[in-house]
Amino acid sequence: MNDIAVHLLLFCVISVAIVVCGAFFSEADDRKALRLVPRRLAWFVGGCGILVAVILIIEHTFARVS
Amino acid sequence: MSWSSTKTIEPRGDANVASWLGWIIPGAGHLYVGAPILAAVAFFSVFGLLLLGIRLSNGMVFEFLDADLRGPIAGALTPEVGNLAGLVYYVKAYGLWPNFPRPWPEFIHLGSWLMASSGMLNAVFVVHAAAIARLPKDTAVRGFAPASHVLAGWLVPGLGHVLQGRRARGVAVFVMLVGLLVLGTILAEGANLNRERHFYYWSGQFLAGAPAMLLEAWHGHALVTGDIEYKDAGLVFGCLAGLLNILCLLDVQAFGLRRLLETSDAEPAQRIETSGVVA
Repeated sequence: MNDIAVHLLLFCVISVAIVVCGAFFSEADDRKALRLVPRRLAWFVGGCGILVAVILIIEHTFARVS
Repeated sequence: MSWSSTKTIEPRGDANVASWLGWIIPGAGHLYVGAPILAAVAFFSVFGLLLLGIRLSNGMVFEFLDADLRGPIAGALTPEVGNLAGLVYYVKAYGLWPNFPRPWPEFIHLGSWLMASSGMLNAVFVVHAAAIARLPKDTAVRGFAPASHVLAGWLVPGLGHVLQGRRARGVAVFVMLVGLLVLGTILAEGANLNRERHFYYWSGQFLAGAPAMLLEAWHGHALVTGDIEYKDAGLVFGCLAGLLNILCLLDVQAFGLRRLLETSDAEPAQRIETSGVVA
């Protein structure tokens, strides 16, 4: 699994499913829930991006062997 | 402050107590809320499924686990944990595994599904007991909703929403979750559909209900003969489809419970104190 484009595509697919289910769970009205999806998706993807950055920094600082 | 002659609406019991009791011993929650016939139905159906599963698998399902993962709490992350008494019985009676491999019985995968289903069925009975507990004491129990909708939503993701009249949401849930499961199966080339190979991922995937069962029956636990490039992604997709279905089932349960309490004129959630003083 070295293809970064495939990784990102799969991440986008799974993110949409997670965010839509989360929006349905927190909002009883369908239209309101779907209106919330873009903002929630941005938060989710942004949050995951920050987490990736933190992990990479930690790895680079503490776990790099080369 | 005003004085009034408020009517006291006392629920049948505490929903939390009913839930805990029903989880620990199938049917105990119903017994607590004064529904002994349903208690018997819950006990015998849940244990019936479990014992049939054990019979078909010769009690060997947890031998799917690698030797270093076996132990008394190995079942804590399995669907069987939905029937705690059953899981404890199983581990006590069959938990002493031999240190040598044995051939699997012919119907071990069917037995595995039945054992896991007993945990899920008990969770449905717990939902029902908790809903009854919130109803006023003098209200007759009619129907099985929202527990029946939770059961339907487990069997077919989205069906619970459809039965509640929320068609668009139900269709969206079905397309997303079954889509994730199918995509995961394609990515993993069917390697995800085998409890023997991926014991804990399978547990998550099981929560997607009949689509996972049908895919597993169709795939037939075929041997993996080479490296599968996207196997890990496929496992995550399949497992997540099941876990997200739990989120959807919680939505079905909450919606159904709200509707049940509204139609039964019950006060939501908690007991009203009898002071007769309304602030």
